[in-house]
Amino acid sequence: MLLFFSNFARQLPRVAILTVFSGLFCGLMMHYAPGAQVDDRELNLRLNQQSIETIRAEKAMQGRLGSVVAQYIGRLRHGDLGYSQSQSAPVGELIRQNAPATAHELLFGLTGSWLLALGLAIPFGASSAYKVFDMAAALLSGLLLSLPTALLAYLCLSSTSLAGAGVDLVFVLALAPRIFRVVKNLLREAYSASPVQMCRALGIGELRILVRQVLPSVGSPLLALAATSVAMALGVAIPIESICDVAGLGRLAWQAALSRDLFLLINLTMLMALTTSLAMAAADAIRSSGQRVSPKSSRMTQRTSAMSAGSESLALEPAV
Amino acid sequence: MTLLRRGAIGVLMVIASAAVAPELWTPAHYATQFREAADAEPSGRFPLGTDRLGRDRLSRLVYGTRVSLLLAPAAALLSCGAAALMGGSAAVAGGLTETGIMALADLCLSLPWLFLLLTMRALLPLNVSPQTSIALTFLLLGVLGWAGPARVIFATVRKLQSSDFILQAHAAGLGPRQVFLRHLTPNLAPVLLAQFCVAVPLYVLAEATLGMLGLGVAEPLPSWGNILRELESGNALSQPWLLVPVVLLALVVASFQAVMPAQTGEKDYA
Repeated sequence: MLLFFSNFARQLPRVAILTVFSGLFCGLMMHYAPGAQVDDRELNLRLNQQSIETIRAEKAMQGRLGSVVAQYIGRLRHGDLGYSQSQSAPVGELIRQNAPATAHELLFGLTGSWLLALGLAIPFGASSAYKVFDMAAALLSGLLLSLPTALLAYLCLSSTSLAGAGVDLVFVLALAPRIFRVVKNLLREAYSASPVQMCRALGIGELRILVRQVLPSVGSPLLALAATSVAMALGVAIPIESICDVAGLGRLAWQAALSRDLFLLINLTMLMALTTSLAMAAADAIRSSGQRVSPKSSRMTQRTSAMSAGSESLALEPAV
Repeated sequence: MTLLRRGAIGVLMVIASAAVAPELWTPAHYATQFREAADAEPSGRFPLGTDRLGRDRLSRLVYGTRVSLLLAPAAALLSCGAAALMGGSAAVAGGLTETGIMALADLCLSLPWLFLLLTMRALLPLNVSPQTSIALTFLLLGVLGWAGPARVIFATVRKLQSSDFILQAHAAGLGPRQVFLRHLTPNLAPVLLAQFCVAVPLYVLAEATLGMLGLGVAEPLPSWGNILRELESGNALSQPWLLVPVVLLALVVASFQAVMPAQTGEKDYA
């Protein structure tokens, strides 16, 4: 545990730098975006010349990137994240209002996905007797991985019987197949290790084998995958919330991008970067501390770690 | 090659050959409107019915398939090329170049890919011609998809550089250019092919997501994204023919996924 915290703490400066640079990167992109200096409010015929001049002055201010950064840092010292032009509200307040919905979805979606993935992966990983069910689960997960998350959201909204389950169900459908495939492969590899075979030959119960032999050997890659799945869930939150019209951070990010809302987009970019980087840093710390700490089941851990590294491309493949 | 992979290649070939020249066999052009038959149900004249603007759905689906199947591999090629260039340069040059390129890759990977894609697409002009919107969408996919593969290429080149045969090549007096051309490039090819095979279905799905969120290919040009947007009406169960594009998309992406391990030599996770 101590090793994990020390590994994690070592990555915190990197996380902070990435977060700051992602905000700067977003600001730069917005600054040089075509039409960035034009405000569509100028087209409003009800505004008088003075209002239009004020809007132009605001835009001109935003046009100077250095002054925007200085202004932002100055406000940040007082806990002010800026003002959202498109939502007509302070950014801090918008984030406070929208964050609980996203946190709720992530919590329920991830819990549901993990329970479903583990519930299916444990029997299929432990035994090859359920070949038909295993194949059905593989086909179903393959099918779900072949559909974009936005489409899953559409289909769930179309179905009156599924509409009640709503957003949480879409999260589960989007995340569970990704988690299931990796977990199943990890468990299958762990179950094929010789200590497990020996335990089975000695007549030790399956539950005990799972708890005492298999889970400790795959614990580190599973925890790393859990941290990674937070980043995946954050990625799928955007289309799901936008389509299901949930007042969360994902929908807010989509609206901010569409309306090119400078301060809102910069803050959301930094928030997303911070969450993703923290999740990835935690995954890295777990992986590296897991590799160092567990000499007792070295062979099995090495095997499962290698397996998890092999599965990484699948697990870390961006969820769309 | 397993039966599944043969089947997947067969499916992809059939779909690609059907989509290569849609004007030869589809009932109408994708933009032709039959105003007297708007929102029509499937019939002999319109096998998948017509949309709200009276355009033949089958024609739009086939033309849209051509757009996605041609441009997703092109975008994947672009991102793999960029990844090879950036990852390879970082590994070969080392020092500040390596730090700079890897920091840029980390920056791209620190944001959810879809968020980055949406933001960047929204920052580019949306009121553009359909052809420009296609170019922008797939160019963006290609440009933003470099970071993940670049890290893989970087790690592979680093590993190759310290391998015995490269050391032996250096000891035999081969220059950096010869080592790169004769030894590094052939060994990088399978890794690049693997990255390419992973990227194609990912970009097909990404384009569909962008289209469904209204940031993809502009109307009237069809793509899977804006065709699937019809499901927004929530009539999928009462009008099951609206699900045909979903089936086709799933079939194509699943086929790409099934073909992948055979092409790349990766472990079969299916």
